[in-house]
Amino acid sequence: MTEGITRTSSRASARGGSRRKKKNQIPIALVIFVIIAGIGVWLGFKGENLLLYWVLGLAFGFILQRSRFCFTASMRDPYLTKSTSVTRAVLIAFAITSIGFTAIKYGYFANGLTIPGQSYIATISIATAVGALMFGVGMVIAGGCASGTLMRIGEGFWMQVISLFFFIVGSLWGAHDFGWWKRTFILGGTKVFLPDHLGWLGGLMTNLLIIAVLYVIAHKWEKKNSNQLSH
Amino acid sequence: MSKEVVLDCLGEACPIPLVKAEKALVKMAVGDVLIVQIDHSCAMKNVPEWARNQGHEVELEEVDDGEWECIIEKMK
Repeated sequence: MTEGITRTSSRASARGGSRRKKKNQIPIALVIFVIIAGIGVWLGFKGENLLLYWVLGLAFGFILQRSRFCFTASMRDPYLTKSTSVTRAVLIAFAITSIGFTAIKYGYFANGLTIPGQSYIATISIATAVGALMFGVGMVIAGGCASGTLMRIGEGFWMQVISLFFFIVGSLWGAHDFGWWKRTFILGGTKVFLPDHLGWLGGLMTNLLIIAVLYVIAHKWEKKNSNQLSH
Repeated sequence: MSKEVVLDCLGEACPIPLVKAEKALVKMAVGDVLIVQIDHSCAMKNVPEWARNQGHEVELEEVDDGEWECIIEKMK
């Protein structure tokens, strides 16, 4: 870190007056922890993997919040600040997920079992690109994608409750008309499962290669633009 | 004599504090200090990283629970 910026005023905070004393959050944290553990025990008795879902959900939220992992920033910051650190973090996450998913699917395939999750292979068509563009514009205006919006409401950023409200409205509306969208646009596309075309190893390597190329481009983009934006 | 400018971005969601800071900094002279008040956790990563990348001196201070002041000294 730098040795510190000399402030012209002697105030502790720009808000004026001496710095407000922070509230001790530890009692609240303990209460919430007990509630979380209590719900966990209750779910554990109900069975059906509910406890596992509860723990995984909490862990995902915690990591998302602490790491400042933001899919919106990963797409927006390369334009806005020329920083690609979050973009590269997302690419690394994609690479790890690709390896994990391939391992799970191959495991089932090698044992002669039905490969899980094949129904999630969606068709690609122009609708994918149009939808992605609309989602991208929307998430930058709303200040967060789905997980980011939920995480920031949890942090107490109330404005994002508006995002959540319209996120729910849009989802319900979309679900209501989904049959029409599916018949008209989605079913016309083609389904691609890379291992069908390139083999298991080839599919994985193609995926990783694309991610690696994007990573290198992201890194070069940040290097090229750092420290020479202003004059 | 260097100035100190306070930019109130409390309640503003992520890219807005950065865009506002960028605009404010253009109008300031070298050596001036800009204090950006933020309470959106994303901006607390975003604004300092951008300002450091630009070559300015940056300090981040949590002044209250979930409220930060990003102190930027314009270096060029």
